[in-house]
Amino acid sequence: MQRMFLRKLTGAGITLLCATLILFVLIRLAPGDPVKLHLGPSSDVALDSTEAYDQRVAELRTQLGLDRSIFAQYTTWMKRLLQLDLGTSIHTGRAVGSELADRLPATLALAVAALAIQLALGLVLGTASALKADRLQDNVIRLACVVLASAPAFVIGLFLLSFFAVSLHVYDISNEARPERLWLPAVTLGAMGAPNLIRIIRANLLAELGQPYVLSALSRGLARKLVVRHALRNALLPVVTVAALSFIGLIGGAVVIESIFSWPGIGKYALDSILLKDYPAIQGYALVVIAMVVAIHLLVDVVYLFLDPRIRRGREGDVHA
Amino acid sequence: MPSSAMKRPLGLTVGIILLGLLALAIAGASWLSPYDPLEQRVAERLERPSVEHPLGTDRFGRDVLSRSLHGGQHTLLASGTALGAALAVGLVIGLLAGLYQGSVLDTVFMRLIDVLLAFPFMVLALIIAAFFGTDLLHLLAAVVSVWWVSFARLTRSVVLHVKNDGSFAAAKVLGASDAAIMLRELLPKAIGPVLILATFELGSLILSISALSFLGLGSQPPTPEWGSMLADGRDHFLQAPHILIGPTLFIVLTVLAFNLIGEGLRDRLDPYERSDI
Repeated sequence: MQRMFLRKLTGAGITLLCATLILFVLIRLAPGDPVKLHLGPSSDVALDSTEAYDQRVAELRTQLGLDRSIFAQYTTWMKRLLQLDLGTSIHTGRAVGSELADRLPATLALAVAALAIQLALGLVLGTASALKADRLQDNVIRLACVVLASAPAFVIGLFLLSFFAVSLHVYDISNEARPERLWLPAVTLGAMGAPNLIRIIRANLLAELGQPYVLSALSRGLARKLVVRHALRNALLPVVTVAALSFIGLIGGAVVIESIFSWPGIGKYALDSILLKDYPAIQGYALVVIAMVVAIHLLVDVVYLFLDPRIRRGREGDVHA
Repeated sequence: MPSSAMKRPLGLTVGIILLGLLALAIAGASWLSPYDPLEQRVAERLERPSVEHPLGTDRFGRDVLSRSLHGGQHTLLASGTALGAALAVGLVIGLLAGLYQGSVLDTVFMRLIDVLLAFPFMVLALIIAAFFGTDLLHLLAAVVSVWWVSFARLTRSVVLHVKNDGSFAAAKVLGASDAAIMLRELLPKAIGPVLILATFELGSLILSISALSFLGLGSQPPTPEWGSMLADGRDHFLQAPHILIGPTLFIVLTVLAFNLIGEGLRDRLDPYERSDI
């Protein structure tokens, strides 16, 4: 068990390392001089003559270590990352790390609330659908899922926003992360991811109900309710993975929803940074999200080590497969 | 009450008919659309749907129906190209990784997939848009570099499955080269499941590309593209919600068609997902 855990931990570490390498190479491949990107266009810098600007560029090049080899640059960058230094925002001049830390709670609150809504919808409707398979109730739920899964989240968000904020006046249009502003973006984000979860819970429960032990329990006269409860518990094990993966999707998808509802999370920050050409900020955002994704994958693996005795006893198994 | 055997072809049929109609309308955009998609008539701006403009006009007085039809060409061409490229890359890597399972090549590919799974599509799209530029080509590059992963994983698992049945061993014994085995034994068996996956992925790809264009990271104005049309209408949404309804309707119907077809095909071909177990 401990060996498995260490192996998963090492795997996550390697993945994270490779991800930073890809990010580093990608950014170095980008057209444009990183120093000039860092300084901003010459008119933005409080220097009139181009000579002074050029000198500043040369200075900064040495200061940032860009005159050294790519490998040396990467190790320096990694060293700073390990000290949790994500660089300085060009736009605000503040540390990107603390800017992201200010906004992360808003995104996490949104994602957690959306996940809760998604799970509640998934459990209720997925079970309701499976227990009445191929009857009217099931068909209506499945149809609703297919239609909802085909709708773009941002348009649904806009329509909800106009309905609740403009027609009903029950929702504030502002850019603050107040708790009473959370429900609408959370419902939008949660409803958009629900169809997938409903489908998976339905399919798992149906597969579980087809197992011989269910038939045997029913034929021995066990109450249907009790049998369903047992089957549901088994059917929900794979849902841990699905929920974790959908949490990752929610953090990514939050970019769009945060932008529509002016919810001040890291997604909105990244999007604003693109428009401001604030490169360190975007890089920092990417690193934080990637680290979160790797941590969530690791967490899922560890949870399975506890939940599934087959994996715990050391049998090789990839829960993501 | 339709039985499950009756119902499944229904979704598939509806999906195919819907897709056929949309394809005809979009392919024939130049003949069908009543106006030039780029022509601005300032006097007729933000008009509500009427007989002359069935879906109304946008903030420059451009006909929303004409723009939606032409926009479909851009959206579908872009999504289709990106998906085709991702599918080809995924298929080749999946075949190689599966055939040489356990080799260095396989290990490298699998590690790369693990790493790419840590990059949510949105994040990669944001990075590429920020550092390389906000246009459709870069957006499509982001799509291909993330989307091949699911095809590669599926192909590899099919190949590993096929390697266990007799045809693979027979081909080996008869002295077929690796290339021949890949083309004649493995590819035909992998292509079916991969195409079903592609149908689903095309739907979600259209949604993703629209979302990014909506955020201003894809097609740039004045090109009519569904996502950028929605972005364009965003500021006038409150006075004239109809400008969003046109492109939204087209996006929903197209994605719905692909999802219905994908679901229908999967239900028919994949016994594990059958609802009548």
